[in-house]
Amino acid sequence: MKPLGITGGPLFECRDVHYAYQGRIPALRGIDMTLSRGERIAFLGANGSGKSTLLSLLDGLIFPDMGTILYAGRVLTEAAFLDEAFTLEFRKNVGLVFQNPDVQLFCPTVREDIAFGPLQLGMDETTVKTRLEALVETFGISPLLDRSPHQLSVGEKRKVAFATVLAIDPHVLLLDEPTAGLDPLTSTHLIEMLATAAGTGKTIVTATHDLHILEDIADKVYVFGQDRRMAACGTPAEILADTALLQANNLIHRHSHHARDHRLMRTPQV
Amino acid sequence: MAGKDFAERSIRGALTFFREAIFADETAGLPGVLQSLDPRVKIVMVLLGLLLVLFTRSLAVLGVLYLLSVLLAAVSRIKLGSFLKRTWIFIPLFSLLIAIPAMFSFVSPGESILSAGAFHITRQGVMSAGFFVGRVLASVSLVVLLSMTTRHFDLLKALRCFGIPHLFVMVLGMCYRYLYLFVEMVENTHRAIKSRVGSRIHYRKGQRVVAWNIAHLWMRSYAMNEQVYHAMVSRGFRGEPVALDRFRTRPRDWCWLLAAVAVMLLLGYVEHRTRA
Repeated sequence: MKPLGITGGPLFECRDVHYAYQGRIPALRGIDMTLSRGERIAFLGANGSGKSTLLSLLDGLIFPDMGTILYAGRVLTEAAFLDEAFTLEFRKNVGLVFQNPDVQLFCPTVREDIAFGPLQLGMDETTVKTRLEALVETFGISPLLDRSPHQLSVGEKRKVAFATVLAIDPHVLLLDEPTAGLDPLTSTHLIEMLATAAGTGKTIVTATHDLHILEDIADKVYVFGQDRRMAACGTPAEILADTALLQANNLIHRHSHHARDHRLMRTPQV
Repeated sequence: MAGKDFAERSIRGALTFFREAIFADETAGLPGVLQSLDPRVKIVMVLLGLLLVLFTRSLAVLGVLYLLSVLLAAVSRIKLGSFLKRTWIFIPLFSLLIAIPAMFSFVSPGESILSAGAFHITRQGVMSAGFFVGRVLASVSLVVLLSMTTRHFDLLKALRCFGIPHLFVMVLGMCYRYLYLFVEMVENTHRAIKSRVGSRIHYRKGQRVVAWNIAHLWMRSYAMNEQVYHAMVSRGFRGEPVALDRFRTRPRDWCWLLAAVAVMLLLGYVEHRTRA
């Protein structure tokens, strides 16, 4: 079977997607977008603008109330996931790193957590162990392997959560606020890892409200408004230059020097 | 005040218990003799020991088993103080309280060896109390030895080879993992409440705060339950978990198992010969 999403067409297509929690608390309204293979995308928005909800929709964990989401031309519905072969291929190809690492690290030890995904997806033990060793080397987490997730720091938890998804080696990486709560060094380390993953041709979709990392993690940015609609789309430079847009969507305060500082940092000094 | 102290003491007690559990995981990671053995072999060895404890009628055999467990704890680099505290202070104390009445003639009639007025301590009573305490002490020592030299999750995983379903083992493991998180949540919430309302609080208000805290924790755990399930599904979980099989039975494991069987048979034989 040819891996899904390795075709020529768009990887994901969202057509007028609406979603509301418990059917009455709106999270997304009329989202239209197309994601292509190998792209680096950022979903930029303030808290509660629907970024995480869209990632869950793209990962097939929840389904739109209205509108459709297509993955490699196939509509993502609950019925589609009843097809064992499709589910297996989809889960092998799309991986989601959750915002809260405590949610993602549910096994009693780090080793079990990293091995969980590949084992569920039918990978043999030898391959799982090889991947485990490679990831341990990349992330420098060898001393953590037999520790329980509750014994890890926030930075270590995030690294391990990232490793649990990379262990599956998906073509599409969905990341929810990957740098939230991290110190600058760990944050930079994680961004470097994302750049490495992008270098291998993976599609990387990151939900964030951190303007500092935008240009490092994305080539295209979708801005989410407080009305749960798509407010804008553009390159990171275009979005960061539009102070009015950032202010209108609660991403900077009118007294904030955030965006200006950011631009100055990247402007060659004479 | 008493109510507040009670809540605080309960939280502290729970935290101490969990920290001790972490400590047990630390001793399980030491490079000792028992730590290096396959957990399945250790379980079989302890089960054999427990069977002998259950069926023996000799105090000497119970004593030998207890001494063996202390010796094994020592060669497994477990601090004797910590091991003896876990075995002696808590559980046998309770068994002693149960055993003491059994020494008297109104529970165990027989040959009186000590009298104080209407109370008679009988030989049969002392023997049955001794057996009771000896059995509890030997079995608790064996089980504590197993739990201190084996990581909790390895212990759970090893149970799978005794036919316990994998899903059940997995759920137990997840419960164990999230208990820590919820204890931390309770501690943080308690601290947050204390920082806002201070240490003096009317007991009625205290009751409301505790009730609200319980409800809040339940809501958070319920919400987290769904998220954890999504995280599992996202990584390919389809209802039948598959786990890494890390246990390897090496020649030295078999040697230890054979030695354990030999010791048990020898003790059984010696007891049989002594009685004959």
